[in-house]
Amino acid sequence: MTDSTASLEQARQELGLSHSELWFRYFELGGMSTALEVEAYLYEALKPGVHDRDLVVTALNERCSEMGGDHPLPYSDDADG
Amino acid sequence: MDGPAAVSHVGVENPPVGSSFDVRARFEPGEVVVTVRGEVDQLTAPVLAGVLDGLAPAGPVDVVLDLDEVSFLDAAGLGVIAHQAVRLRSTGKALRLRSPSPSLRRLLDLTSLIDLVEAFDQPARLGPVQRETAVPDSERETPAPVEPRLAALGVSNDVVDAALRLVTALTSATVEGADGVSVSLHRHGRVVTVAASDDTIAQMDRDQYSTGEGPCLSAAAEGLWFHVTSLRDETRWPSFVDRALQDGIASILSSPLTVDDLPVGALNIYSTTEGAFGPHEQEMAALFASQASGILTEARVDQGAEDLAVRFRLALQTRELIAQAEGAVMAQQGIAAEDAASLVRRLARRNETTVREQSAVMLEATLRETTIERLRP
Repeated sequence: MTDSTASLEQARQELGLSHSELWFRYFELGGMSTALEVEAYLYEALKPGVHDRDLVVTALNERCSEMGGDHPLPYSDDADG
Repeated sequence: MDGPAAVSHVGVENPPVGSSFDVRARFEPGEVVVTVRGEVDQLTAPVLAGVLDGLAPAGPVDVVLDLDEVSFLDAAGLGVIAHQAVRLRSTGKALRLRSPSPSLRRLLDLTSLIDLVEAFDQPARLGPVQRETAVPDSERETPAPVEPRLAALGVSNDVVDAALRLVTALTSATVEGADGVSVSLHRHGRVVTVAASDDTIAQMDRDQYSTGEGPCLSAAAEGLWFHVTSLRDETRWPSFVDRALQDGIASILSSPLTVDDLPVGALNIYSTTEGAFGPHEQEMAALFASQASGILTEARVDQGAEDLAVRFRLALQTRELIAQAEGAVMAQQGIAAEDAASLVRRLARRNETTVREQSAVMLEATLRETTIERLRP
């Protein structure tokens, strides 16, 4: 699982998060990219930095936890990358 | 109002609760006709519910609810109708309403309850006793069509609020385990409760507004549903959770209300039982939330810039909290900002909580240590 960018948008849809709500959550975590840039990360139109990508993944994973799941999307610093 | 001559095929008979209320059931091939007379309100609705529930053991049959001589029907009565409609549908049978008044039809439309029942106006097939001939017209006291007094619901004053109160009553009556229900909406930049099943529930909502946190606020702000299966094990919204536990609440289901995919409020269901809301209850909650959303869409309740500002303010508060916690970690550990962020994130994950909650806990601890440090001689 070296590059799972493609699954970010899929995860967003499965979790029922709107693009704007995902951006709000990313922003809460300290993200500095605009909503349009975050959307571009999801569609692979832009490549996020390692930190930015982790923030998007955190937002998605935390929503997954709220719905009773685990953290399915890997982070950059996961031991088994 | 004395009814016409007693129907001979009476299956269930009840002593009238009020002076004018009466329910009679008559079995016919393939259906049961339940004739209701008088006022269906908080006091009499349970009697009607009892009669209808009493029909269940008779096996699956269509039920015709004859409302022709109902002079008043409030949210409690509608709750009974909704409950029976759902119960009958689950057995493949139907609830048919004979002669609902125009006001009642409007409310059935507004709440989409019309999709669950069949409403018709033609005269019911007359039973063995020909009612119309049993009592000559001249002796009938009731003037032609009886218009149920729905004023109690405030329909004429504020259709939206009334419809939402109705959804609240229906949810309360049909969702198993629901001990209280409320609807909260963004209005003028604040979240307010527009309908609540009782004072305890209204207070439960106010507790969330005053502590600034809780599933209802989260659902209303983020447009997502939030399910608390056991409040005792809940780690989100700590200030609110304590208060809710004191009031005996054990589980909560908050479903978002949306207009054009934007969150405008929440439908909140509270229970005193843990794990009260299973898949079926969640489905019912979603159904009622979509009905309420439909009512709001119809009324063009739009989420203006003001409400986006509310979400933005919430996001800024959270962002500040997290940034402070990360700043403290940076100072304590002497590490860079991004490393501090991943450290907090990893801690949060290990503690099975969110970055926000983890940050709050860490900040509190830092604050305590600093205070102790300062007080040290």
